[in-house]
Amino acid sequence: MRRGIRLGLVALVVAASASTGVSAPAIADRPQPVTPRAAVAGDAWSQTKSMQRELIAADGTSTAISDPNTGGAWQVTVSADHTQNLRGRERVGITWSGAQPSAGRANDPFGPGGMNQEYPVVVLQCRGTGDDVKPETCWTSSFGQRSQVSRSPSDATWTEDLHALGSAKTQVSSALGDVPGADRCPDVDRSGVTYTRLVPFVSAKGQVYPACDAKTMPPEAASEAALPANEIAGYTDAQGRGSAQFEVRTDVENESLGCSKQVACSIVVIPIGGISCESASTEVEQQMTPVEKSCRRTGQFSPGSSNFTSTGVDQAVSPALWWAESNWRNRFAIPVTFGDPPDTCDILDPRAPTGFYGSELLAQAALQWAPAYCLNKKRFKFQHNQMPDQAGFSLMASGGGAAALVSSKYESEGDPVGYAPVALTGFGIGYIVDRPENAGEYTDLRLNARLLAKLVTQSYVGSSYGAAHPGMEQNPWAITKDPEFTALNPGLTDNALEAGATLLSLSNSSDVIRQLTEYIAADKEAMAFVKGKADPWGMRVNPSYKKIKLPRDEWPLLDDFVPQGGTDCKANNPSTYFNDLAAPVSTMRKVAEALLDAWPNVQTRCDTDLSVTPPIYKVGRVERQHYGDRFMLGVVSLGDAQRYGLRTAGLETRKDKYVTPTTDSLTAAMKVIEPDGKRGPFEMDMVELRKAGNAYPGTMLVYTAARLQNLDKKDAAKVAQFIRTATTEGQRSGSGNGQLPGGFVPIRKSGATKALYTRAQAVARAIEQQKVPVAPPEAGPATVTPGSPEAVPVGEPVVAAPAAGPAAAPEALTMPPTKAVSSEWSGRLLPVLLMLGLVFAVVSAVSRVVTLRSRR
Amino acid sequence: MTALDDPQVVTHEQPATQGRGSRFRRQAPQRRAPRPVQPAGPPNRVETASSVISTSTTMVALVTLWMALQMLVLGGVAQERSQSLLYGEFRAQVAAATAPVGPVTEPGAPVALLEIPRLGLQQVVVEGTASGDLLAGPGHLRNTVLPGQAGTSVVLGRAATYGSPFADVEHLEPGDRIEVTVGQGRVVFTVQALRRSGDPLPQPLASGRSRLTLVTAEGSGRLGAIAPGETLYVDAEASSAFPAPSGLPPTVPESEKPMGIDTGVLPLLALDLALLLALTLGVIAARQRWSLVHVWVVATPLAIALAWVTTDGVMRLLPNLT
Repeated sequence: MRRGIRLGLVALVVAASASTGVSAPAIADRPQPVTPRAAVAGDAWSQTKSMQRELIAADGTSTAISDPNTGGAWQVTVSADHTQNLRGRERVGITWSGAQPSAGRANDPFGPGGMNQEYPVVVLQCRGTGDDVKPETCWTSSFGQRSQVSRSPSDATWTEDLHALGSAKTQVSSALGDVPGADRCPDVDRSGVTYTRLVPFVSAKGQVYPACDAKTMPPEAASEAALPANEIAGYTDAQGRGSAQFEVRTDVENESLGCSKQVACSIVVIPIGGISCESASTEVEQQMTPVEKSCRRTGQFSPGSSNFTSTGVDQAVSPALWWAESNWRNRFAIPVTFGDPPDTCDILDPRAPTGFYGSELLAQAALQWAPAYCLNKKRFKFQHNQMPDQAGFSLMASGGGAAALVSSKYESEGDPVGYAPVALTGFGIGYIVDRPENAGEYTDLRLNARLLAKLVTQSYVGSSYGAAHPGMEQNPWAITKDPEFTALNPGLTDNALEAGATLLSLSNSSDVIRQLTEYIAADKEAMAFVKGKADPWGMRVNPSYKKIKLPRDEWPLLDDFVPQGGTDCKANNPSTYFNDLAAPVSTMRKVAEALLDAWPNVQTRCDTDLSVTPPIYKVGRVERQHYGDRFMLGVVSLGDAQRYGLRTAGLETRKDKYVTPTTDSLTAAMKVIEPDGKRGPFEMDMVELRKAGNAYPGTMLVYTAARLQNLDKKDAAKVAQFIRTATTEGQRSGSGNGQLPGGFVPIRKSGATKALYTRAQAVARAIEQQKVPVAPPEAGPATVTPGSPEAVPVGEPVVAAPAAGPAAAPEALTMPPTKAVSSEWSGRLLPVLLMLGLVFAVVSAVSRVVTLRSRR
Repeated sequence: MTALDDPQVVTHEQPATQGRGSRFRRQAPQRRAPRPVQPAGPPNRVETASSVISTSTTMVALVTLWMALQMLVLGGVAQERSQSLLYGEFRAQVAAATAPVGPVTEPGAPVALLEIPRLGLQQVVVEGTASGDLLAGPGHLRNTVLPGQAGTSVVLGRAATYGSPFADVEHLEPGDRIEVTVGQGRVVFTVQALRRSGDPLPQPLASGRSRLTLVTAEGSGRLGAIAPGETLYVDAEASSAFPAPSGLPPTVPESEKPMGIDTGVLPLLALDLALLLALTLGVIAARQRWSLVHVWVVATPLAIALAWVTTDGVMRLLPNLT
């Protein structure tokens, strides 16, 4: 991790060399990078600006509000950790320093929730770059964030703006000049009593939305829209520093905003310093007009305070007027570029794709790799189809897919299979944890195997409902109440949230679950806990999971406890409480998005609508967590963690040694791998891995597995091409097409990953040649032609659906052999019965004769 | 019925079994209870030993021979009766157009009439292939279409016991006709090949055609006819096919697959054995009061009935293709 930071800092300093010498902000706030994105030259961005609020008195004298530390203007530096080739929902780390400390912190700084704060730093996404960026092209998710409609004269501080043009100071105005008529904007008061300023939104297609009420906003701004707001009013601490993970949206997520590879966009950062006021009407402060007074306000809250109840703030220093010239002129427009959309290959390449089936770990790499194949006519069209590793392997082994992407060895009955390592990555325990009292995010979460065992076995009870579970009376409600956890992670809240009782994980089979459970299984204390021994604080394993066999590919939901009683809704909708808590999902991407939104997948919400009889009950997912009170854990892939800017926890290896996923710790894991055969996967022994100390236990290799015999020649050539390209060109770090994204460690010809590279080339050759002989015990040639139905059973006669076979089979297919079904019983029973019967009949007769004789 | 290897042996045994049975029943109590009959002097050791050996061997011989007898002969009688009843039932259903066409039919119900002219075989096929279902006749594998419907249909039949309906199937040759009557009509299949372990599976079926696979077991060597240990498949195809209904069950329990055994009968079997034990004790008790003739007039039919039912139960524990 340290090396990561150092690299990041170096790059940042290089990129920021043009700017004034402000000490580099804490880039460490960004999650520990596996391959630091900022290390790519030109990717990071930084700029410094000077800004000052001025209040002009009646006599023309100007009073400036200065930085108390310097006595001069505020020198604000804004940095972004990466700006190139962004993808939908990717998060960019924005940091700033030298800004005015914020006050009245909101529970939720996103969208409308962030409006009632003082001196925040507004971060928005806008279409255009440089001078093309206008307030009209900046996205907000509600009209109240951009327009001030029918405000009382005292709340019309924008009309006092020193820097604004005269046209902006009229009673009813619009940033685009023409104010729509009463038919379009009935809420705008035109009687002359109140003031209105509209900041319309112009969509990518040129449509103008006047933004005078919720109806005149773009469709993506509907309340409870599919995606939560991404614009944020960030908080600056007492030292003038702050940070935000800003989530960018492409035209896939937000069509009206319309950012894409072709349409350039910017992330606009506006430190709110307050409205500079033009000269007052009188020198006597008490005789000023109400609007003049309110323009000169400097805030109701003290720096560093919170505004939990979201009470009103002084408009002059609130983020609602980010578009006012006094604020807007201080903006930082960070130009960003976007990568190819995920459907690039479908649109631009009409060829039929060749599917590679399996591991989700490769998802982010495949997103960047795919265009490098489909846009190059000399290559084939690569398509990554995510599915459980086991299913992908079976599909490949049965001929349904050219190759599988797996992370461990699978048994194959038919042809021999070669495994070529193509990616070094892994999984992480992603988290979003806030420190209490607005102290920011917790960045150093540490977990050990027993804590993970407690989470996956659902041994935290969650709430009073779960506390009624027999056998778990002594267990804490959530991990935040567990003394073992608080000892590792001091200074966190001890509120017991239901989300703190669970680790959001996968519902289906995956090599990630295998690796995670192997990590638990390799720990003596964790296994003792699973087997029923209480931990030193008296906590016991959930009896439903006691002695569960580890490791395993799939985590089952075994607890069927249904709590009794509770609220009216709970009583009428009984459900298996612990399953609702765990509520696993089908892909790690969903886990990453839940973490991104701080929206636990806990399904225990139970609301009653009493307005109708009988009452209507609404059950489902709990609400999103409040900013400042977030606590959520989930299993994520390292690729997703980097893409979405998620933090991943340090896992215990040796005693008191916690390892986070970094380039170093993943590379260190390569020292303990053992090759399996000539073309098999590498074996990574968890005990060895933990013994190594500095190796990350969640390290995983993704292999391209393909048959070494009887694979179609064309497919074999494609798979070989993929392996060769992926292990050479595909291992260059970067955000462009064909490059390796963050979260993956490059496999190179030399160094610690040499063995992987060599093995990949050897397997690629073997796959291309298709000459590896079948292992001796295999019986006869068993060819399954690609595309033939997988459902041809080998054991019993064909149970084919009517249309299963090819419509016309021009040439005879080689079919698998009939499997032997035999029975010893069936073969021997009758002869043995008859023989026994005869033998005993004879013995009986003889003994009878003997008896008779002896009597005589 | 042709499966019987040596009918004379068994038929000779039959009367003997009855006779010895009565003697054994009388002797059995002598071992456990104080002898009710007047002893001819104190028994010496040789006498005791030989009487114990004689009694126990008689008992084992009785049990084994009865089982063999029922599997090879008496079961055949029962199977012929079942077939006769099923034929009547199925005939009426076909006439009334109420014969089942799938996809789900009650196990044990007749679903098709199977005729192989060259073997002189005519059997009513029942639904289900568990060991117990196949006591009545060949059974239709429930996750396949009915014979004659588009797709592959699988019919299992016994090779050696209970009428051994499929004993001669191994003599079929490519080109032989198999005629099948189902609720939808009549289809004539032509045998394509006989398939044993290791032979390639048949080619994927062209759409609109129908395949019938007969599955049974065969043995080898001198006692091959009563020792069917290996499965044998006969694939036959017809160029026309009736439409198949959708909604077939995706799989069948292990007990219905070839060579499957049905352990669900164990409780019933325990009950049968308990009843046999009760009968034995009853006979002992009755002998104290009534004469030998009276007791056995009453007990014999009961003993035979119980032995029959018990053997039927044991059959369900044995592989279904036997």
